[in-house]
Amino acid sequence: MTINQLSHVAMEMGVILLSNGAETYRVEESMHRICIALGAKEAEIFVVPTTIIISVTLEGEVPLTRTRRIHSRKIDLTKVSEINHLSRHICYEPTNYKDLLADIRRIDTIPSYPYYLHVLAFAFISQMFTLFFGGSFVDSCVGFMIGMGIKLQMDIMGRFEANVFFTNIVGGLIASTVAVAASGLGLTTNMDTIIIGSIMTLVPGLAITNSIRDIIAGDYLSGLAKGIEALLIGAAIAAGVAVPLSLLRPFWGG
Amino acid sequence: MNYIAPCLYAFGASLAFAFVFNIPRNKLLLSALGGMLGQLVYVVFQLVISNDVILYLLATIAISLYAEVLARLTKSPTTIYLAVALIPLVPGGGIYYTMLYFINSEIDLGISTGIHTLLISGALAVGIIMVSSTVNLVRKVMIKSKTKIRKKIKYGKNT
Repeated sequence: MTINQLSHVAMEMGVILLSNGAETYRVEESMHRICIALGAKEAEIFVVPTTIIISVTLEGEVPLTRTRRIHSRKIDLTKVSEINHLSRHICYEPTNYKDLLADIRRIDTIPSYPYYLHVLAFAFISQMFTLFFGGSFVDSCVGFMIGMGIKLQMDIMGRFEANVFFTNIVGGLIASTVAVAASGLGLTTNMDTIIIGSIMTLVPGLAITNSIRDIIAGDYLSGLAKGIEALLIGAAIAAGVAVPLSLLRPFWGG
Repeated sequence: MNYIAPCLYAFGASLAFAFVFNIPRNKLLLSALGGMLGQLVYVVFQLVISNDVILYLLATIAISLYAEVLARLTKSPTTIYLAVALIPLVPGGGIYYTMLYFINSEIDLGISTGIHTLLISGALAVGIIMVSSTVNLVRKVMIKSKTKIRKKIKYGKNT
């Protein structure tokens, strides 16, 4: 395998890992392991949540450095798991370049769950958490509607590439507007429960987990970046919820 | 009933979150069980301990142990199980009430609720850190002792 092919394979696998929600230290570790297993003499890898830099040295050749900027990130843990399996596989038995590329392409095109299932999942999360925090069945149905609305809003705003914080502010705004309206119409008495239950859909669970795990692994830069992202998203949700609560309350008397 | 219902709701919510995170089809149920386990530990220890920060810490330790063990057994990343199971423990109510008190200009209550929420988040972080550091340490010690035994066997054969 030439130095060009080797660095290409490692880079492609790293990009799939990083853009689908793997921890930063996992990306560095797997890329390093792949390079060594494929016959590199040295491999230096630097990863932050938006960039990958890799520098490979082969015996008797000039070192090669590649950089890739990650522009869009989404969450698809199936791909992370599959790439993890593939990198384990590479370490145990040798493969050739063509097979590896075909494997990577196959993993990159694994379909995620269908769209209607995602919308239903959001609605269900919101309903379950409303019940979890002590709401009645009617409350949970209001939560179901809000969850669906939040998912549709997130996708519409995602299509226009709105930033994460604005998306979350609008999500919180929808949740509290609908809940205040429902309590104003007399459908429910515990508006608080509905709002708490439906903002749980916006909670950045993966960012929290990954930031803690990155900090444990000694990757403070990425860990802090992700931790601050999680904190700011929390603040954005609270700000979005606050606006209708303070503006609409006098009118609806909720 | 009062103890079982929250666990079932946590299970349902975790399962839905597993779909949102696109977790592999054969691991959906396992990861959702983690969310239920956290709530179960919380509810059971509620009978003995009244400080809820410690309850959150215990629940987090339980789900991190569950996630680490399952990750080793199924040879997949720990995040798959941990991220899903952690979500029912995230203090969404704390964030909301902090904001609500500040809107109603009850600053004292707002500050105390805010600090309480921060403490709970700290408990989640500390729980994960404790478990995964310990598991890593144990793994490294086991690997080292294995190679030592192998060396001894080799050395013994040579002499």
